[in-house]
Amino acid sequence: MSTTVLRKDSATDGAPPSGGAPSRARTEPRRGRSRAGRVVGQVLLYTVLTALSAAILVPFAWMLVSSVKLDAEVFTVPIQWIPKSFHWENFADIWTEIPMLTYLGNSLFLSVVITFLQVLTGSFAAYGFAKVRFPGRDALFLAYIATIAVPWQAYMVPQYIIMQRIGLVDTHLSLILLQAFGAFGVFLMRQYYQSIPEELSEAARLDGLSEYGIWARIMLPLSKPALASLALLTFVFTWNDYMGPFIYLTSNDLWTVQLGLRSFVGVYDSRYAMIMTGSVLSVLPILVVFLLGQRHFVQGIATSGMK
Amino acid sequence: MTSTANATALRRRRRRTTLVGWSFILPNFLGFAALTLVPVVATLLLAFTNWNSYSTPEWVGLDNFRRMLDSDNFWAALSNTTYYAVGHIPLTLAASLGLAVLLNQKLRGVGVLRTAFFFPYITSLVAVAVVWNMLLSPDVGPVNQLLKAVGVAHPPGWTTSTDWSMPAVIIASVWRDMGYYMVLYLAGLQTIPAELYEAARVDGAGPWKRFWHVTVPGLRPTTFFVLVMLTVASFKVFDLIQVMTEGGPGRSTLVLSQLIFREGITQGRFGYSSAISLVLFLLVMGITVIQFQLQRRHER
Amino acid sequence: MRYPFRAVTALAALSLLTTACGADDGPAETADGKTIVKIALWNYASTPEFKALIDGFEAENPDIDVQPVDILADDYSDKVTTMLAGGDSTDVLTMKNVTDYARFATRGQLQSVGSDVGKLDKAKYSGLDAFDVDGDYFALPYRQDFWVLFYNKALVEKSGADLSNLTWSQYANLAGKLTKGSGDSKVHGTYLHTWRSVVQAISAAQTGGDLLGGDYSFFKDQYTMAVDLQKSGAAMQFSTAKSQQIEYNSMLTTGKAAMVPMGTWWAARLLQEKAQGTHDVDWGMAPMPQITDDGKTVSFGSPTAFAVNKKAKNAEAAKKFVLWASGPEGAAAIAKIGVVPAYSDDTVMENFFGVEGMPTDALSKEAMSPDTVKLEMPVSDKSSDIDQILSEEHELIMSGEKSVGEGIKDMGARVKSEVE
Repeated sequence: MSTTVLRKDSATDGAPPSGGAPSRARTEPRRGRSRAGRVVGQVLLYTVLTALSAAILVPFAWMLVSSVKLDAEVFTVPIQWIPKSFHWENFADIWTEIPMLTYLGNSLFLSVVITFLQVLTGSFAAYGFAKVRFPGRDALFLAYIATIAVPWQAYMVPQYIIMQRIGLVDTHLSLILLQAFGAFGVFLMRQYYQSIPEELSEAARLDGLSEYGIWARIMLPLSKPALASLALLTFVFTWNDYMGPFIYLTSNDLWTVQLGLRSFVGVYDSRYAMIMTGSVLSVLPILVVFLLGQRHFVQGIATSGMK
Repeated sequence: MTSTANATALRRRRRRTTLVGWSFILPNFLGFAALTLVPVVATLLLAFTNWNSYSTPEWVGLDNFRRMLDSDNFWAALSNTTYYAVGHIPLTLAASLGLAVLLNQKLRGVGVLRTAFFFPYITSLVAVAVVWNMLLSPDVGPVNQLLKAVGVAHPPGWTTSTDWSMPAVIIASVWRDMGYYMVLYLAGLQTIPAELYEAARVDGAGPWKRFWHVTVPGLRPTTFFVLVMLTVASFKVFDLIQVMTEGGPGRSTLVLSQLIFREGITQGRFGYSSAISLVLFLLVMGITVIQFQLQRRHER
Repeated sequence: MRYPFRAVTALAALSLLTTACGADDGPAETADGKTIVKIALWNYASTPEFKALIDGFEAENPDIDVQPVDILADDYSDKVTTMLAGGDSTDVLTMKNVTDYARFATRGQLQSVGSDVGKLDKAKYSGLDAFDVDGDYFALPYRQDFWVLFYNKALVEKSGADLSNLTWSQYANLAGKLTKGSGDSKVHGTYLHTWRSVVQAISAAQTGGDLLGGDYSFFKDQYTMAVDLQKSGAAMQFSTAKSQQIEYNSMLTTGKAAMVPMGTWWAARLLQEKAQGTHDVDWGMAPMPQITDDGKTVSFGSPTAFAVNKKAKNAEAAKKFVLWASGPEGAAAIAKIGVVPAYSDDTVMENFFGVEGMPTDALSKEAMSPDTVKLEMPVSDKSSDIDQILSEEHELIMSGEKSVGEGIKDMGARVKSEVE
């Protein structure tokens, strides 16, 4: 559908270039100028982007600074940007104060499994929604979208009751089933598939590929940027989720990092330095995943697929 | 003879397509239907009952809705939520698109920059709330110092004032969310063939023109997705407001999700909270359907 | 086609909800034949009173195995609500405050302990009245915190002030006198935490005003004082404290405030942190300031209680635990670690002041025996709705968005119009 958009635009933009030699002569000096301009532009861009990203990281800096303070020094007026004394031992203590290693392991297990299932079943279902025409398809898709429109706070209790009846409360499986089949992945991948030209699938069909083959051999490789962003966002969501694990997991050995961090919040008082220490530690895996994954955002595979 | 044979063949092919379509969707749908669709439908039906999470629900018709129309809290939450959405949606859309286009270039170290702009989304909410409240502090905050320096005599009270708390929350949430939607836009940008840019360049189109005539149309499917998700997320906003203002001062930043949580989980009036959810649901669905229609018109 | 399908789904969902009954949460006995009593509580590792109670009870009842169900303190009641909706059979439920209690009790989710209450020496159980629901009881309090005036001895004693019999106006004057410095080294005379009870509950307790009544003119003096204190700089600005999430604990332990009215739960933390060396403030307790200096001290407090789940697997053993924990033995066990029990007699107080590091001066002892402790918030099915309104208006008054008069007027109007 949206491929028509692409083609329409390429038609207007790619209007016949006006002649051979004169046009080349006209473009030559402009290219020279733009090269000098590009260097200045790049320097400017770098400056602006670096300044912006520094400004944007101020709250994160606060988190870092707080992680090496005493609990009582975290919230002060005015904010102490340089701690009175550095308590690096926070980063050692947290491993013994709470079973941090177990929590990290649980978080990692849940995030990886849920991300894998979400990406796999989501992209699979998205192909059905984007590329196969059958009656009831749009109504079904609407049902998916509709559930996104209801806040989780509204249906968490009915959902819990169902889970309790199946007997899955207080297991990791409950969270996996709950979060691996959401509408988000289906919707995201459907939109992406729609921007992949129909001609590609047609050609593959003529070559004798089944629909499943087209999905596996053509769609999946072409949609790497979308798969990467879906995987990243799902991973981050699962990793940072608090309410879901809180409601479903009771046994301490099943807890995730986010639950572990909240255990520093007491009825009357909280240990905020420890919470910030833990938050810094829990950001690290996301950082790794992001740095690894972001390369895939800019691999212009779809471009080469056009020809 | 041949026409009936054709018709049977056609029917058979259609059935096959349906089966194929379902086979793609089924693995996801099974989990989705049992654990999301069913409870959502149940919740929406509970809007017509007086369920308190423990009793047997009794049908009470439209009582919950009547109560809602009379409730100042509901109207305050509805208008606050709309206010938030109207501010949050366009600003986040513009910011995330701008970031994605800037960071889609082949620059040295661009990966680090992309990570930096994603960081607000993974920074602890407590840190976000404390630092933004500090930046926007009425007397000593740097934002108001700056405003005073440029001649604003009475800078806003931000989160301490009922008039300015919502703009303060919107600013903080745009800051937090733009990296998230930037990731979606970055993926979308990869679908635009480089040939189009080449062609536009040959045509003599400058960067601005290329942005409007190549990038924006090419991103239409992504923009549609981002717009729908952003709309839904804005109307369901909960976490950031809960940590930053708890709906205050007074109820100036009370939003529908908070009201649903408070009435349901806290007060145990699940029938009533489901009724509010139903209204929120219809509102969001209405907007989404309009967005779908507009998208379809563009596709034609 | 899809509509009947949806209707069927919906019906199925509703029937799932309505027939929800106890799911199997595991055996009722251990392998060696002990009866298992599961108890829902919060932050087991960092809340020593629970361990003290469980260990003490198990020592006397070797045939019962008490197993904690550890829930995060932050959203404890939300999780318990959800668990009970799913038909959970955890035997004992800890009631964090009386508002939660009112909710669970009036919904019929707790078993009656009324017949056992009849056999108790009621005079010794403080806070028991709060659990009376139409003549019946569904929980027994095991701890009862009430409010006193914590102070930094070094800062206050320098001024030579006597805190034993303060009125509110003397307290406000003293707070002004104790305020010194500016910026980073500023010392506030007092710190009023952001909770509404700091102004409202004490005012209701001492004037006899009704927090559920809808006429809140009795708040006026207390609010005027609180607003004046922050205007003069003797107390930190409410909006700063709120938006920067200031902790009352650090205000006292870092020497930024001389006097802090707060609940007795704080004592245990101050002791523990001093023992760990995170602060070295010499602190004490004094009675809450009063309206007049007639020598009677009135404060307010909030009890914490244990209740038996209606769907408990081992209700008899659960009840045994609840009675033991709230009685003299339980009280002795928790007083030993610096927690104020609901049950009170001489041995309990001896245990409390025997805790290593507890200030044992006459003033602190006087603070620990107020004449009257009123309930922080009366129990009713309207309590939590009214609580919400009062909190919102409190915020508006304290942050200067409304005048004291306007705020009080709006509280009344909103309680009358919004709470059925």
